[in-house]
Amino acid sequence: MSRLFHALTLGQRCGALLLLSLLAAAWLVPLFGYNQPNVQHLSAAFAPISAAQPLGADQFGRDMLARLAAAVRLSFGLSLLCVGSAAVFGILLGVVAAWSQPWCDKLLNFIANTVMALPGLVLVLLISGIAPGSFIMLYLGIALTLWVEYFRVVRATVQPLVHSPEIECSRLLGFGRWYLFKRHIWPAIASNVLTLAAFGAATSILMMASTGFVYAGLKPPTAELGLMIVELFPYFAEATWVLIQPLCVLVLMVLGFNLLAGQKA
Amino acid sequence: MSALITLDNVTVAAADNVLVQPLSLSVNRGEPLTILGETGSGKSLLAQAIMGTLPASLTMQGTVSIQQQPLDIAARRQLWGKQISMLPQEPWQALDPVMPCEQQVSEVFRYVGNAAAASAQLAARAQLDQVGLSQVSRQLPQQLSGGMAQRVAFAAATAAGAPIIIADEPTKGLDTSQRDGIVQLLKSQTQHGGLLTITHDVDVARQLGGRIMVMRHGQLLESGSAEQVLSQPQAEYTRALINAQPQFWPAATPATAQQPLLDVTDLAQHRGEQLLFQGLSFSLSAGEILGVYGDSGCGKSTLGDTLLGLLPPASGHIKWQQPLHRSQMLKLYQDPPASFSTAVTIGTLLKDLLKRHKLAASAIAPLLRQLNLDAALLNRTAKDVSGGELQRLALLRTMLLSPKFLVADEPSSRLDPITAQQLTQLLVRLAREQQCALVLISHDKIQLQKVCDQIIDLKDYQLREVQA
Repeated sequence: MSRLFHALTLGQRCGALLLLSLLAAAWLVPLFGYNQPNVQHLSAAFAPISAAQPLGADQFGRDMLARLAAAVRLSFGLSLLCVGSAAVFGILLGVVAAWSQPWCDKLLNFIANTVMALPGLVLVLLISGIAPGSFIMLYLGIALTLWVEYFRVVRATVQPLVHSPEIECSRLLGFGRWYLFKRHIWPAIASNVLTLAAFGAATSILMMASTGFVYAGLKPPTAELGLMIVELFPYFAEATWVLIQPLCVLVLMVLGFNLLAGQKA
Repeated sequence: MSALITLDNVTVAAADNVLVQPLSLSVNRGEPLTILGETGSGKSLLAQAIMGTLPASLTMQGTVSIQQQPLDIAARRQLWGKQISMLPQEPWQALDPVMPCEQQVSEVFRYVGNAAAASAQLAARAQLDQVGLSQVSRQLPQQLSGGMAQRVAFAAATAAGAPIIIADEPTKGLDTSQRDGIVQLLKSQTQHGGLLTITHDVDVARQLGGRIMVMRHGQLLESGSAEQVLSQPQAEYTRALINAQPQFWPAATPATAQQPLLDVTDLAQHRGEQLLFQGLSFSLSAGEILGVYGDSGCGKSTLGDTLLGLLPPASGHIKWQQPLHRSQMLKLYQDPPASFSTAVTIGTLLKDLLKRHKLAASAIAPLLRQLNLDAALLNRTAKDVSGGELQRLALLRTMLLSPKFLVADEPSSRLDPITAQQLTQLLVRLAREQQCALVLISHDKIQLQKVCDQIIDLKDYQLREVQA
């Protein structure tokens, strides 16, 4: 773990620190009693900062701190799920495409190019529009737009590697495909895949917020950053301070992941 | 005779150790100077010290004079191209891969020589014509052979009229015929200028003539005229270096017990549309050594891959007289680092292999001793091991599986002469002791004649084309 830390650049360390503190805050806040993101106190709409509500209350008198913590947990969870499945799927197909017959490679490449041709957000909106408010559909939509990047990067890296002496040599020595992946392919693609994963996490958080912002994603009263922003938007004049909070959290999360991704792009 | 380059007590040192011991030399007009020595002997550092391109982590002391003027690094830098120029080790890395050759040479005339665009192009054409490359002036470096690319690099390096050339391993990885072409080109340079060549190839030093300095571990061992050093070497290392040339190798004992292993009849193979060879028939017995000879690109490696079953033959039959397990047919690669995964240590890779074939870990130690390898090497990755050691480790890896058929694809062409000889002798021993049939691929015919039981010259099996 410490070796990993030393391998990171200063920017990457800042990003990791930012994300870790956000995560820690999001999980610790409920333990201190701020655990009711959806309980309304209509008489206390836009209540000022107090010990019971350290970040104030929104238009329905809900505790902002509890809502932000819940939103961060949701965004993190979804982004990790999306990135994880997109990466596994993309790497698998990328390796298969580079390793298999030309017709299979062409077919997979055709599918990937088709997905690439659609703007990512449109695809997410389309799929999540099938069943509005469904977490599964949102997840599927985002994961389906993300896998293509992994596919393309992995395919391009593995293609020249498949015919390289090192892999040919290991095959002659009697090793199977899993071994070739573990010892030759994964070391070659790992750093690129991890960079893509960090960018992908930022993208998926933004996509989720964007669908929430246009009411195509999750439904109220779920505490979700995009949804919170759009709900607070009409009260921009009266409660600027409350609107700024989810915006800041969103910026910090995306910044954290982009810093973690490092300078390689 | 006027001294073009003079070094006075030049040393190169890293933070805590001296890499080049105090050294003085002079390169005179019309008399080539060749520095001979193995990889890691500090030869290339010397060239970098003269040019002023040493890495920042190294420090240089002593004076470097060009045309009898002591100059510091900044002043030497001003002379690049016009007075002094360097011929790089690997031409493909020095040339721009996406620019036609003619343009690369003309840019030197234009930007170093300050010529107008049109006249620069004419001059570049004439320059390429002079090195015999007028045919390929429009091609990209990748489309050329190593020898041709090196000639383009030579044309570019001399385009601005530098009278002094420093050539750092100019013939590395080239065939004998291509190598001789480059040496002739370098020799022509000495008629009107100075030449400092750095090489580990005794033949190159002999052909260049002039004076020779032998270096090892950053130390000058001996110097003198080429004739004197090569015919009456004083230092033991020089003798070893000269004796490591294939023509001085002792001939290997011929194979004894003959148990037929392989019959090849009427084999032909293509690469794309091009027919590489046809009508190839031979048979091979266990413990026998077959040499495959030919220039680069003639299909030697393709023949090896075909025998190993990695490529299907275009026509003809390969018949095995004894059933062989898949992992008893192995290959030794030309470029040792390319055949190892660099992600983990060599020890881990060997452990993987033992596990895969359910072998005992105790098999490694005796092989390490036999191949004269240090067990500490196993804790390093392939990146941190020298070429000669890595090739022996590759040999160890194959010997663990006790192969019955081994294709060695130019296993020693990237090694120093002494290491190359050791490796080849190890291979011969492996073949004889373990009754393993060995296919030795090489572009060095003398080497093959010394060790092989039979030799195939692929030229005899090529389709003869009428020159248009």
